[in-house]
Amino acid sequence: MSNSTQKLDPVTLEVLRNALPAIAADMAVDLQRTSYNMMIYEVQDYCCALLDADGQLIAQNIGGVSHFVADLGVVIRDAVTRYGRTGFKPGDVIITNHQRVAGQHLNNVCIFTPFFFDGALQSFAIVRAHWVDIGGMSTGFSAATLVNDPWMEGLQLDQIKIYEAGIPDEKVLRLIRDNIRFPDASMGDLRSQMAACKLAERRLEELFSRYGLKTIHAAIARIFDETERKCRRVVRDIPDGTYEAESFLDPDGPDKSMTVPIRVKVIVSGDDMTIDLTACSAQRKSALNSRTLAGAYIAYKGITGPLDGVNEGSFRALKVEIQEGNIMMAAFPAAMAGWSRVLPTVIDTILKALAPALPDFVPAAHQGTLGGSMTFFGTYPDFGTDPGRGRNFVLQTIEGGGWGGRPNADGESACVSVCQGDVRNSPVETIELKTPVIVDKRSLRNGSGGPGKYRGGLGIETQMTNLMEGRWSLSNAGRRICTPWGIAGGRNGGGSRNFMRGPGEAEFTAMDPVRTLAAPDSSVMVSTGGGGGWGDPLERDPARVRHDVLEEYVAAEAARADYGVVIDAKTMVVDEVATQALRARMRAERGGNHV
Amino acid sequence: MSLVIALDIGGTFTDLVAFDLATGAVHQAKSSTTPYDLAVGIRETLDKSGLAIGTADTFIHGSTVAINTAIERTGARTALLTTQGMRDVYQIGRGNRPEAYNFHFKRPEPYVPRHLTFELKERLNASGNVIVPLDVDNARAVAQQLRELDVEAVAVCLIHAWANPAHEQAAGECISQEAPQFYRSLSHEILREYREYERTSTTVLNAYVGPRVARYLDDLERLLVAGGFKGQFLIMQSNGGSMSPATAKKIPVATMESGPVGGIIAAAEATRDLGLRNAIAFDMGGTTAKVSLVQDNEPDIAQGYFIGGAARGHPVMYPVVDIVEVGAGGGSIAWIDEVGALKVGPRSTGGHPGPVCYSQGGKEPTVTDANVALGRLGATRFLGGEMPLDVAGAREAIRAKIAEPLGLTIEAAALGIIRIAIAEMSLAVRSVSIARGYDPRDFALVAFGGAGPLHAAEIARELHIPTVIVPRLPGHFSAFGMLLADLRHDYVRTYYKPLADCDFDTMTSIFEAMVQEGADLLASEGMRPEQMRFERFLDMRYVGQEFPIQTRIDANDLKARDRALLRAAFDRIHDRRFGHQAVDEPVEVVNLRLTAFGRRRRSQFPKLGETKSAVTQTTAERRNIVLSNADIPISCAIHDREHLHGGQEIAGPAVITEYASTTLLFGDDRLNVATSGELIIRVGEGP
Repeated sequence: MSNSTQKLDPVTLEVLRNALPAIAADMAVDLQRTSYNMMIYEVQDYCCALLDADGQLIAQNIGGVSHFVADLGVVIRDAVTRYGRTGFKPGDVIITNHQRVAGQHLNNVCIFTPFFFDGALQSFAIVRAHWVDIGGMSTGFSAATLVNDPWMEGLQLDQIKIYEAGIPDEKVLRLIRDNIRFPDASMGDLRSQMAACKLAERRLEELFSRYGLKTIHAAIARIFDETERKCRRVVRDIPDGTYEAESFLDPDGPDKSMTVPIRVKVIVSGDDMTIDLTACSAQRKSALNSRTLAGAYIAYKGITGPLDGVNEGSFRALKVEIQEGNIMMAAFPAAMAGWSRVLPTVIDTILKALAPALPDFVPAAHQGTLGGSMTFFGTYPDFGTDPGRGRNFVLQTIEGGGWGGRPNADGESACVSVCQGDVRNSPVETIELKTPVIVDKRSLRNGSGGPGKYRGGLGIETQMTNLMEGRWSLSNAGRRICTPWGIAGGRNGGGSRNFMRGPGEAEFTAMDPVRTLAAPDSSVMVSTGGGGGWGDPLERDPARVRHDVLEEYVAAEAARADYGVVIDAKTMVVDEVATQALRARMRAERGGNHV
Repeated sequence: MSLVIALDIGGTFTDLVAFDLATGAVHQAKSSTTPYDLAVGIRETLDKSGLAIGTADTFIHGSTVAINTAIERTGARTALLTTQGMRDVYQIGRGNRPEAYNFHFKRPEPYVPRHLTFELKERLNASGNVIVPLDVDNARAVAQQLRELDVEAVAVCLIHAWANPAHEQAAGECISQEAPQFYRSLSHEILREYREYERTSTTVLNAYVGPRVARYLDDLERLLVAGGFKGQFLIMQSNGGSMSPATAKKIPVATMESGPVGGIIAAAEATRDLGLRNAIAFDMGGTTAKVSLVQDNEPDIAQGYFIGGAARGHPVMYPVVDIVEVGAGGGSIAWIDEVGALKVGPRSTGGHPGPVCYSQGGKEPTVTDANVALGRLGATRFLGGEMPLDVAGAREAIRAKIAEPLGLTIEAAALGIIRIAIAEMSLAVRSVSIARGYDPRDFALVAFGGAGPLHAAEIARELHIPTVIVPRLPGHFSAFGMLLADLRHDYVRTYYKPLADCDFDTMTSIFEAMVQEGADLLASEGMRPEQMRFERFLDMRYVGQEFPIQTRIDANDLKARDRALLRAAFDRIHDRRFGHQAVDEPVEVVNLRLTAFGRRRRSQFPKLGETKSAVTQTTAERRNIVLSNADIPISCAIHDREHLHGGQEIAGPAVITEYASTTLLFGDDRLNVATSGELIIRVGEGP
């Protein structure tokens, strides 16, 4: 804080406050528009950031995938430890994805470059992006359930300089290229990542030249302080106390009774918040592990300033308690291919803990998973006249699910998880244009929203049929037993399921294909979870229930059974008298078990 | 009979600019917009102008009816017909939440409810081949059902109709036969580009606003005919062109964002007249500043946008002049946030109550108040002196709300407010130039809108833009630009193939079909073949990328069958835009695009009288103005634009005033008055 006490002209401060995030945002735009894989251009599974030489976050783009929030400091600090402050030269490009420090699945590849001014190392520009393939046992998302160590997962790149002082290390680049399945795509993405870093260097050069080192350092320190103060002001209004909640994920091992516990404690004291994750599961033999604070960070950010930018100050007033060996602080070489799957549930659980303290804010649980991800891949030996002929193909899409009801509104339907902001599904026409697949159906899953005064949003059912042989993987994100919970008397939403059907078979079978070889005309279907309800469903405005029935979000029988609303099937008019009587009877039947 | 009238209906004012092609006379009139019945305001404005509509040979109209209908949700009860299995595509959208950390985010609210969405039994594949033939009986039954549902409009968007419109056409026939009274939109008639959600959203919006826009245009046509008008009636489009009312009734979605484009067209024309090719149009009004790039005298076009903002808006895949808008206008409010940081905007006082200095009850200090406090805006000159400004009030508001809390002098606080607004507008200018790979030093900044010329020189200095141009009528520039808008129609066909496999004959015939379609439409709108011009583009990308870049090609490029030439053009554009290219990687074509123009007769201003001597300093009046140093006001000459002569030079610091705008020159700026009337400012030329 010492720097920030220095007198700083408020106008320059405001100009820099806008200019620094603008650099990160421009990096993101360029990366997205030039990238070669849908994980970047559609899913926006990347982040772009500027960090100082101490690994403090100066600015990060907002958008895409939120579980990357403020998680790059450890990568930069590790690199500076490795090479020393004097160990970088202009023109260096470093690559890393090593789980020892980076703590995510190996597909998330960091590329960063040092920025110098006045001959001294000032900061780093960095882009972390999801490569479509990193070698190992499988492509896409499908390694998560297959691997039990990082070597099975793929190439491990540990702070390697692929360019030194502007000169590429062709051997390393060739080694990478030869050991991944879609080298054109990944090398293209690498090029885009480097270009985004270079763009940042140019823009930083302009800013530093114009305002000078001292002013910029003072402004950055001040921006951190002010961001921290803003967060503290929000936390100050939350009643002091210790708030706890728990939930769990489906069993991830052979013992089907062993669920994965998620227990959180939130301690609010004045304007300090501590999120204690120490009672969450120990690190797993499965690949659900990670090294990340993202669960706590996303929850805190959503409470303290969801629409503001992210910098080092955003989390300075938050303390996260987590011990080595925790599922989210796993030690190398724990498998991390399924690293992100725990996070949406952790965030939901933190919010659940805070529901008594923030009754007008906390929503019911959402689908709680990273959504129904669908992967289909293979090669084109001969695929008629279609444009992709002769090339390998890979289809990836993420189908959203339902969000929880809120204290003042229904949950939204068919949206990506709390960890995936601007992530978009793949359009039906794009899928069919690029891969030998027909999308039979993409529809809302009627009845999947948890009943409540404010209903949970609906999940999705998406069904596809492959026209030629290939391999399907549908992710099971592990929230089938602990379905999205209701809050304040609301009920749970429908859990998720996956299905497959062989050619000629009449019925779908519930299963989770993982790299499952599928003959032509096989079909798969994901059925994503609905959100939990908020508040007592018997308090839901009958007119809204009628609307839900008209729109087929809720069946007429469910309107009666869950909401106590009687609707005339012919006229679609609410029978007010019958409704009042039914609701009174349902309340009476609850007796002492009133929610 | 050579009068051209442009009538622009904005949120606050209905603005008329007319030009007499024979005499060069310009007429202007302004009156309040009458939202309850726009025709009242139109009639009033026409009356005020004193022009006889019967003597006009062209009447060009820009209106906000389509956009307001969409935003206020006052459109038709609309039904949607889709492919089997796809009923919820419109509701599901892309499933994204642009506000990543917002637990209370809201999705766009569909314009068609689910119970008015029906699946047709049919299916095509991505090559346009039929997998399941359209069940015509089923389609008829659906159309009959719609009659009972009290529907007024129907949108049809079937999967892969971009590749083969046959099923949509057949479904459209069924609707026409069973329910001819419905307003009908078929997706392929609006755009033939893949991505079903975006195409559905566009088609639905078109159907939703269609009936109301059609009624409005019918009323207006009647009003014109009643006034004896026999000339050509044209409607402004979002793409910067114009079209006939008949076309506008069919594709009203094309008029959605036509509001701000007039000024940008005029900026493009002004630079053309001055012999320049590239410009950045900068329009600063009361609530926002808008910036757009003009290359080769054509405004940059984006292929899509969102109605209602990117976070929760509805996508419209239709060409629109690419405008970057920031919340920095004259009425933008300066404030101090909860941790003591000085902020400007995005909240604005708008026209009412307006800045403190307007004395209409405004209490919050604004950018305009800062300009008044520094003497940059003259208290007695505003709107030609019709509205005296309250300098003391402006200074007091800045003192109480900004200067004291920050421990600054009033002048330093006012200068700070302007600098922050300038920085934000500079970021916008940057985002259309530097961020897209263009060096702003190669561009002229064309400044208009009430507040544009006052701030342009500072923005130009910030970004090293050498020249600022203040055109004629900067305060009426949007309506003025409409006078100049050519007829324009855009077409797209997805043609998805590796460049190496592209069939030049097929591409040529697709382009020829689009040319034919464009030529027929232009002919129906009264254009002769010699007025028509066609531009061809390929959307290309490296194989594996998603976002294509529009690459302009020549009809001869296709005839030459030169793949290397096409890809080199693409490589070059990619390199300029993103700073890298991949010359060894395969390139693919995604879409073919065609723009059909119908050139209209130009309005030519009479030249200004030349002065004898090159430099005439008319220093009748001087005023102390704070420029760069808050503590040292500088004495500046005040010029009246009406009295300037062609070729006249003015050295800064100086102020040029005119009816609806003020131009500010700094000490090292030099102004030259073009004989065609524009003010050409060389920024930072030095004494």
